[in-house]
Amino acid sequence: MKSKIKIFIPVGVLLIAVIIYACDKKLNIQPQGALLTTNVYNNSGVQGLLIGAYKLLSGEDVPAPGLAYGSAGSNYVYGSNAADDSYKGSTPSDQPDATAIESWALNQATTQYVEEKWSVLYTGIQRANDVIRAVRLATGISSADTTEYVAEARFLRGFFHLDGKKVFNNFPYVDENVSYANNNLNVPNYENGAYVNIWPKIEADFTYAVTNLPGTQPNIGRANKWAAMAFLAKCYMFEHRYSDAKTLLDQIIAGGTTAGGTPYSLEPDYEANFNPPQKNGPESVFACQTSVNDGSSTANDGGNGDMGDVLNFPYGQGPIGCCGFNNPSWNLVQAFKTDANGLPYLDGSYNNSPLVSDTINAWTGTVDPRLDWVAARPGKPFFDWGMEEDSWIRDPNSDGRFLPKKNAYSKSQQGTYSSTETVFWGATQIDANNINLCRYADVLLWDAECEIEVGSLDQAETYVNMIRTRASNSSGWVYLNAAYNSSTGTYSPQTTPADNYNIKPYPAGAFASNGQAYARKAVQMERRLELAMEGHRFFDLQRWDQGGPNGAGSMAAVLNNYVSVEKNRHSFYYVVNTAVFTPGVNEYFAIPQVEIDAENSTGKVFLKQNPGYQ
Amino acid sequence: MPNKTGLFAKRSCIVCLLFLLLTYGVRAQNTITGKVLGRTDNQPIAGATVQIKGTKSATQTIADGSFSLDVPGGKGVVVISFVGFENAEITLTGASNLGTILLTTSTATLNQVFVTGYTAQRKKDITGAVSVVNVDDLKSMPSGSTESLLQGQASGVTVFTTGAPGGASVVQIRGITSTGNSAPLVIIDGVPASLHDINVNDIQSVQVLKDAGAASIYGVRGSNGVIIVTSKKGGGKFRISYDAMVGTQQPLAHGWKLANPTQTGQAKWLQYENDGLVPSDKQYGSGAQPVVPDYITPTGSMAGAPGTDPSTYALYTNQITLADKGGNDWFHDIFKPASMTDQNISVSGGTEKSSFLFAFNYFSQDGTLIDTKLQRYSARVNSVFSLFNDHVRIGENLFAFYKSNPGYLNAPGVNNANSISAAYQIPNIIPVYDIMGNYAGTGSAGLGNSPQPVAIQNRQANNKNQDYEIYGNAFAELDFLRHFTVRTSIGGTVNYFFNNAFIYTAYENAENNTNANSYQEQYGWNSSTIWTNSLKYNNVWDKHNLTVLGGTEYITNSGRAVGTTRGNYYITDSSNLTVSPNLWTLNFGNASTQTNQNLIVTYNGLTAQTPYQFALFSLFGRLDYQYNDKYLFSTTIRRDGSSVFSPSQRYGIFPSFTAGWRISRESFLQNVSWLDELKIRGGWGKLGSISNINPTNAYTLFGQVANQSYYDINGTSTSPAAGLYTQQYGNPNTSWEKDITTNIGIDATILHNRIDLSIEWYKKLISGLLFVPQVPGTNGGASDPFLNSGDISNTGIDFAITYHGNVHNVGQHDLHFDITGTLTSYKNKVVSLPPGTQYIDIIPTGGGTPFSRLQVGQAAGAFFGYKVIGLFQNWADVQKSPKQDAAAPGRFKYADVNHDNVIDANDRTFFGNPNPKFTTGLNIGVSYRNFDFYMFLYASVGNDILNDVKNSTDFPQGFGNQMSENVAVSAAKIVNSSGQPTNVNDPTAQVANPGTNVPALEVNANFSNSTAFNSYTLESGSYLRCRTITLGYNFISPELRKLHFDRLRVYFQVLNLFTVTKYSGLDPQVNPGTNVLFGIDGGAYPNNQKSYNLGVNVTLL
Repeated sequence: MKSKIKIFIPVGVLLIAVIIYACDKKLNIQPQGALLTTNVYNNSGVQGLLIGAYKLLSGEDVPAPGLAYGSAGSNYVYGSNAADDSYKGSTPSDQPDATAIESWALNQATTQYVEEKWSVLYTGIQRANDVIRAVRLATGISSADTTEYVAEARFLRGFFHLDGKKVFNNFPYVDENVSYANNNLNVPNYENGAYVNIWPKIEADFTYAVTNLPGTQPNIGRANKWAAMAFLAKCYMFEHRYSDAKTLLDQIIAGGTTAGGTPYSLEPDYEANFNPPQKNGPESVFACQTSVNDGSSTANDGGNGDMGDVLNFPYGQGPIGCCGFNNPSWNLVQAFKTDANGLPYLDGSYNNSPLVSDTINAWTGTVDPRLDWVAARPGKPFFDWGMEEDSWIRDPNSDGRFLPKKNAYSKSQQGTYSSTETVFWGATQIDANNINLCRYADVLLWDAECEIEVGSLDQAETYVNMIRTRASNSSGWVYLNAAYNSSTGTYSPQTTPADNYNIKPYPAGAFASNGQAYARKAVQMERRLELAMEGHRFFDLQRWDQGGPNGAGSMAAVLNNYVSVEKNRHSFYYVVNTAVFTPGVNEYFAIPQVEIDAENSTGKVFLKQNPGYQ
Repeated sequence: MPNKTGLFAKRSCIVCLLFLLLTYGVRAQNTITGKVLGRTDNQPIAGATVQIKGTKSATQTIADGSFSLDVPGGKGVVVISFVGFENAEITLTGASNLGTILLTTSTATLNQVFVTGYTAQRKKDITGAVSVVNVDDLKSMPSGSTESLLQGQASGVTVFTTGAPGGASVVQIRGITSTGNSAPLVIIDGVPASLHDINVNDIQSVQVLKDAGAASIYGVRGSNGVIIVTSKKGGGKFRISYDAMVGTQQPLAHGWKLANPTQTGQAKWLQYENDGLVPSDKQYGSGAQPVVPDYITPTGSMAGAPGTDPSTYALYTNQITLADKGGNDWFHDIFKPASMTDQNISVSGGTEKSSFLFAFNYFSQDGTLIDTKLQRYSARVNSVFSLFNDHVRIGENLFAFYKSNPGYLNAPGVNNANSISAAYQIPNIIPVYDIMGNYAGTGSAGLGNSPQPVAIQNRQANNKNQDYEIYGNAFAELDFLRHFTVRTSIGGTVNYFFNNAFIYTAYENAENNTNANSYQEQYGWNSSTIWTNSLKYNNVWDKHNLTVLGGTEYITNSGRAVGTTRGNYYITDSSNLTVSPNLWTLNFGNASTQTNQNLIVTYNGLTAQTPYQFALFSLFGRLDYQYNDKYLFSTTIRRDGSSVFSPSQRYGIFPSFTAGWRISRESFLQNVSWLDELKIRGGWGKLGSISNINPTNAYTLFGQVANQSYYDINGTSTSPAAGLYTQQYGNPNTSWEKDITTNIGIDATILHNRIDLSIEWYKKLISGLLFVPQVPGTNGGASDPFLNSGDISNTGIDFAITYHGNVHNVGQHDLHFDITGTLTSYKNKVVSLPPGTQYIDIIPTGGGTPFSRLQVGQAAGAFFGYKVIGLFQNWADVQKSPKQDAAAPGRFKYADVNHDNVIDANDRTFFGNPNPKFTTGLNIGVSYRNFDFYMFLYASVGNDILNDVKNSTDFPQGFGNQMSENVAVSAAKIVNSSGQPTNVNDPTAQVANPGTNVPALEVNANFSNSTAFNSYTLESGSYLRCRTITLGYNFISPELRKLHFDRLRVYFQVLNLFTVTKYSGLDPQVNPGTNVLFGIDGGAYPNNQKSYNLGVNVTLL
């Protein structure tokens, strides 16, 4: 017996020891199917992180399915729906958040859209910060490359903060020191009894990018020095620092080039800016690049196409078969009326009857040819899909008669520039149109504003007339009884214009002779027409309000006046007829309540709601 | 770390060695004899086991009841046991003839032996909280998901089930024990596995270990409780059993109460009028009164209108569709009677050297939801071989199944609705088919955007959802040195699955109706292995009984799964855009449309992004000591190491202590005749949990995923550059979720074994909850790690009582009955949150405002939002009430919780609790002559439900979806001072029907009607349900026995005969959701449908 024990003990002990040692070691399991910091902190890893940061320009970030409309890269909800450019569309309360935004009734109960916007912007910001953090820890990156990566990352970081500043105003600035690991995510927007001013930090990012980015980049989609300069100028425009802006804008106009090295110029044809085969032309200062049929679609999102605008297509049995959102307003369409001199009605009388495209007693005068690239109208060709008709409108009570065009694609582009990755519910509405974030027309019109405020009215007129002259190029108009060439965005034969088009430059000296106030109106109108439905209108009105040329309360006046007329038309405000824009409040949107709840969950106030919101 | 563990191992070995030495050296030997008789009839009992307690020395009585046994050392306790009798124990005093020993007929369950953690115990020796499930009752209902049968069968166990065939159920032991996953650990024959697909006929026993005393031997995996399942083993006579059942399930008689098209038209007109607008509608016209059209395509047409001529039919441009003027019953379009069958055959037998069991089962259930079904084939082979005089036992348990379970999925590619929610969203003016027999739908203009329920289901009919799985183990046991048993077991599971789905072009929909078709396939496997070694020492001397067990366990889990999609398949039937299933392979799709994904899989209760791998290594020990069969003490300890934590946090140690006192064995209670058994027991212990934690939690990870981080930097429109993004932040400091349980229980058997009862009070404190707390948006999009964030506690009472009754001479025969009641009650409370955090908001999937909030003092899952206190009756009411956004007559008035006279975010409050106050089950079994009767009642009391269906049907300002009849009929009517209809903005507007709680119909959504998360949809969810009634008849007779029949029984059964509830939805037992957000009814597959079943049980000897 004892001999048995003698055997059992050492064998048992040895066995147990071996088991414990071997099994404990087996607990060191590295994650599969993902990269570790050690894989990423090198040159190609940092390059990859930078690409990942650009990705957020689309506004589409899909850790949680469903994010997109409120955060669309085109900003159509905030920039167009909430202004006088367009209606939300669909039925009155499909996407109730958009209803609240459009009727300026945003309160803490309806925060999903603003939360989408907020969280997508910070995702972009933190991805840019990831580049900066990684480049510091990485090995094997030359100092030139380091500078380049950081400069591009700071450009993007500045871009996202500027967007947040426009939408939320009191938007905390998050630099690379703010991180989950540093446990300092409760970044305040309110300190020592006042909201924090983040302009200097945004400017610092763009300034760094201007200083350190080259003019020409190996890839057309990258930010270059000129793009950085344009966005720095945009900051100054919002800060009403016209001289500072003008200095930069003049430089861009004098010597700016695209990332591909092409000197900036206006496209000969207006539509070239919105036609996917013609993307990244000489007018593109900075754009969000999109792609389709690249294996990126999932059940929850449309991948790398223009996901944000997925709802903005004709309803039901109309082409593309969708949802009928973002309908150009009656007011916007009327703004394209031109007088006998081919000039817009700067006095606001464009909004009087008769109305363009009215069902009875329609306007028979002339219109700006850009109208038919901005809005699809009944009886006018929707590219090569046929004539737009009323059945394409989802709810005739609230949606008007028009559909957005700048984000849409033509029938012959279907499958090439539109997605066929159909596991996603709305594949046909995902296309590869660029989202223009800044185009040269934008730069010219900013500089025109600067000239009016701190320079020469004649020079302002020159810039405006450059825009108008391009629009008057009849090769880029819409024609009836003509075939649409989707690679050039033109019709042939060009015999029957789709409407009675008449557009002319301002007569030489008109600005100077009519004075500064007239010139401001002309430039502001030109911005509205040229950049219609591109998500800028709300922010232009905001910029021209307090501190700007139109003064405090001007935005409220424009929009309340807009509602007072639109509520008598079949439009969004016909149904939501109690909408009121409150000056001093609705120039900015509410900070999402969930963010306030989250940052203030310790009981201390880090994040303070914007004034006037509950 | 290796040093530390090495030391621990050494210590364990030294302890083992001490035990070895202690027991060495006993050698004297005597022979004892005796005779065993039954106490009541004095008849000899043959085959009774006579054993020296704690040893392997045993023999059996022969035909005259006598026995003879060699007793080493001549000392110890002799235990005589026989099925159906109480054990008798005799302490040896040196005499060799023990004389006549009388055995008492057993009725109590005290001597039943239960498998608990790594060992087995008699019920009377158990000191922890263990519920024993009556397996016969468990089998009383057919189900494709075996875990659902636990509902009401064990105290302390709460089960939420779904009506979907093969649908998963949620099992909670003692309430919500985690904010993540509360699923208990299920151990089947020693292997962690799922109860879901086990063949219920194979089950020998089910024990539920509820407290730390019972479960902490399972350490990290035990905190949600442990369900121990033992499968049947063979043995005894060779027998063949056949059990079969066929049945039919009926859909609910009534779906939701919805408005018919005439009511809908009138309600639509009211919507406009209440908002001061001129009514008009694409379908109902623009007259003073709505007109129900004859056709919905062409839009709003009357008979004879242009475009209604069938010759003008065209799929997209003129899909001519008649209006269903009476209102289509969509609910019964998708719910139809369905059949079910369950066929089981088993063969078992054995000799002294070996035993075996083979069983085969076929289960098939069609869902009442059309085109859903479960088909499962399963087989089990269990065998045991004993060698060397039973000193060595080698065996295996093996279970394999194949199942096909297509059906109730959220159809991919379909916007925001499954077919059941679509059935209450789609307007009932739409028929199922257009005039050509193609699907009609919301493509007919102005009717919302719901997808078509019948189309959703029909299009899934050929989809596959297949699982292949094998699990089991092989084991070897060796008895040595008299007191020792060493055991090793290697087991595991292997699962392989295949799914496919074809997504058709849904031409009938309002939106996305021209999407090209596509096809997806998913493949994957999951695997787990478990290797357990244990050494047991058992010794009995004098009045002492000591068992010591030590062991090691290594578990590893891994899996991989991939899904691929291609689009643009060749359309084989152009009239309705379908593609023959023969072409459903990837190569027929367009290669340029291919997308690939690593899938997220859920397997055995764990959800992981594939590929995944994680492992667990544990050392465990257990000591049970009894003195004089009166004082019981047990302690366990387990040290777990898990790969999901960083090395510094990797190991957790989980101890427990329990003690029991069998008071009824004390002399002062020996003469209390009504008291048969009384035991008081209590325990304390600590458990851990890592359920649902991401296996890579400690690591910061980067992803390279096309839709997340690729960007077309070259402007190609088709070829984006690959980019990276931070996928998750890791946290190396995350550690174990700890779960401390205190348990006090009383077990009693009284009134001459007629009543068994067990009552327990417990407190369970879960500290360091593993949870992903809400962080500010400044974090960016990377997911955050699980943190130990906060504590919750459950206190509760479990109660079980059984009454065994006999009524003599009912028509000259005895009537036997057994009634068992169980009661489960717990109170859940958040005890603390991370320092500085006052609350954690729970936001529903898809975003928006929180529905619930974790806050100290509140129950997990409590609903949080604005509390509706009524409707504003008129403008005077609005004026005198606190300032509220969009307040107007006929709209909601919210409670001013903080009394600051303004309704804002600070007025959100906890207005409902989805946790039941208690749940209870009542089993009644009666047998009389050859008849047997069984009834099972289940009740849940005191839980609240959010009837989220109303958010769609009661607020037409949503999408223009279908309205409820209630809202069409009883919504607040807005009139002016002279009683004429007016709009809400009229200064004289008032509510004409002040009793209503339904807000006025409106076109616009606002804070005071539908956009704020409020208590309008709150309802009481209490219910009582008759789950089963079964009536059986046993044909057995001497003649049949001669024909080798041991059993021949037929039965008839009705399931869900009635439900008593005030809840207005389909089924008050709603899907559970998550542990922090549940009790929300968005249109779940009802589980209260009636079934009628007919069955037979046959056993041949």
